[in-house]
Amino acid sequence: MREEEIPYKGIEGIPIIREPGNAAKVNRGSWRLVRPVHHRDKCTRCKICYIYCPDAAINWTPDGPEINLTSCKGCMICAEECPTGAMTEEKEGA
Amino acid sequence: MQEFKSLKDIPEQDYFTGGSSTCAGCGPSLGLKLALKVLGPETIIINSAGCMTLLPLYPNTPLKASWIHNAIENAASTAAGARHGLDMLGDKDMNVVVYAGDGATYDIGFASLSAAAAKNERIIYICYNNQSYGNTGFQWSTATPYGSETKTTPRGKENPTGTTVVNKDMLKIMGAHRVYAATASLAYPVDFLNKLGRAKERDGFSYIELLGACTAGWNYDPRLTIKISKLAVRCGMWPLYEIEHGMLNLNKDFSELKPVDEFLNMQGRYRALPPNGVERLQGLINEHWAELKEYNGQRYV
Repeated sequence: MREEEIPYKGIEGIPIIREPGNAAKVNRGSWRLVRPVHHRDKCTRCKICYIYCPDAAINWTPDGPEINLTSCKGCMICAEECPTGAMTEEKEGA
Repeated sequence: MQEFKSLKDIPEQDYFTGGSSTCAGCGPSLGLKLALKVLGPETIIINSAGCMTLLPLYPNTPLKASWIHNAIENAASTAAGARHGLDMLGDKDMNVVVYAGDGATYDIGFASLSAAAAKNERIIYICYNNQSYGNTGFQWSTATPYGSETKTTPRGKENPTGTTVVNKDMLKIMGAHRVYAATASLAYPVDFLNKLGRAKERDGFSYIELLGACTAGWNYDPRLTIKISKLAVRCGMWPLYEIEHGMLNLNKDFSELKPVDEFLNMQGRYRALPPNGVERLQGLINEHWAELKEYNGQRYV
């Protein structure tokens, strides 16, 4: 069913999430103890960090990975899996 | 659907965003992110109560697909109902997918799963197996492997092995329903997504079991999620194979398995497992692997 077909759409008090994927605005950056840092010169654009990010915090651009620090929880899978060492970690708040 | 050959072929479109309340380095959450790349936004995900129930919490959702929160017993029946409803509306393109944990699959929801599989409903059932009841604090389920410590099977003087029960062979059970059944691993996303693509094209029930490494329960550093998933495949803890019409196909064949010690040493749940326990576990793995090698390409169930 499309949204305009929902019969109770206009009724107040019914919990409907109107924007798919709106959790992207929630700040989970405060969970981090360490943050990933990307080094463009060492990157081979292999996509490994992008595929393995459990929080979709790495966006893929034609220019390589782009880290979204609002969603990144600092699990550091990207740094662990990067085959060339293009993703390193940095202590948060240092 | 075209098969993916390497990581570079995997679509760059995401239907999953960050900001959910799962743990850092969560395996099952990564599994859903990858699955949605193949399934797309025209998908209804039916979820049994479990860890992944925490993904869409009002007023936020990380998903760009529909989601039904469901009781733990009957995700498969809800999915079958959704499929029948869509059929009546003439909607053939919508995917109906169950994303449920191993407690809901192996134990509590098994009756409805078995019924839906026996009736060969056109749904995809993905079980994210973290080998315990992870959401309630890592209690024992029938998917917990031998020797693992859980909240309800702690190691002690009386019982040094922790879990003494050997886990169910779920793939064999589902294979015996004459449906498509396959295992998948997060460390082999190309294999996982190809299996999902095949399941999506099928006109019948598909069961995919994904080993969802659980950082909190298995007690390891979140950064090791992929390393541990890969090691599970390499040491034979989690062999990758599929069963279709009772025929077995081993997807990742190795001439020699790595010893299981390396896998065990990375995780807190196997800490202080006595040597005879490790030996027994290695024996079980070798037995299963020999069976898979013997029946590869032949009728298995």
